[in-house]
Amino acid sequence: MNSDFSLFERHVDALYRSALRLTRKPEDAEDLVQETYLRAYRYRNRFKPGTNEKAWLFTIMTNVFRNRLRQRPAPTEPLDQPGTDFSIYDQLRREGMPVHLMSPEEIIVERGFGDEVKHALEELPLPMRMVVVLVDVEDFSYKEVASILGIKIGTVMSRLHRGRQALQKKLWEYSGRPRARPVAVGAH
Amino acid sequence: MGDHCEQTMRKLSVYIDRELSDAEVRSVKAHLDDCPPCEKVFDFQAEMKRLVRKECCTDDAPARLRDWVRQLATEKPPARDREA
Repeated sequence: MNSDFSLFERHVDALYRSALRLTRKPEDAEDLVQETYLRAYRYRNRFKPGTNEKAWLFTIMTNVFRNRLRQRPAPTEPLDQPGTDFSIYDQLRREGMPVHLMSPEEIIVERGFGDEVKHALEELPLPMRMVVVLVDVEDFSYKEVASILGIKIGTVMSRLHRGRQALQKKLWEYSGRPRARPVAVGAH
Repeated sequence: MGDHCEQTMRKLSVYIDRELSDAEVRSVKAHLDDCPPCEKVFDFQAEMKRLVRKECCTDDAPARLRDWVRQLATEKPPARDREA
């Protein structure tokens, strides 16, 4: 039976990087992953062979995390915000950047949007942050995320939508001076 | 922006997440092939998704945590489990 447990071992990096986004502190992330594996070990007989072991581990981890949060809420957690329609691409187009002539990579490098992704993600309210991490970083399907978090697929989709827009808005703000360097349309 | 563009934009993130039905995928794909402005938006949003993944995948578990988990997977449970 114990030998089966090695199946779970390979997800340690995925669990750790997600734990880091949730807790925002390396020592808390490490502790959360340990607790997750201890529970997985203790309840390993409940895992149905052939089902998705990564999703099973993430279900355990998000439950442990939410229980901990309930016991001692983090005072600095960002509050949930109403959704705002925001897209970096539209913003740049409005600003007059010749986005149609540039590759996405060029746009991202030029404006430094990649530099603050982790920071921006950690600033999202938790419900959105969890969904964005599970879908965009861990590549879970909507259905898997709904099952991991115990929410409806429609809720996964709306949180994802709001989360991505909020993330782009933060990246936009961090990239600084949105109107400092206007580029005239057709200048290039 | 035509009706087709609006419909495609509404479905874009779900398309990028590969969560649309086959029929919807075909219709979005057909529109993107025909409409360069929408295709640019698609390229950008798809790249943003890749960027989030790439940036977050740089944090690997510390060696000590990895070793601890490996030990769990062997026949003898580590100390913390025995206490529990």
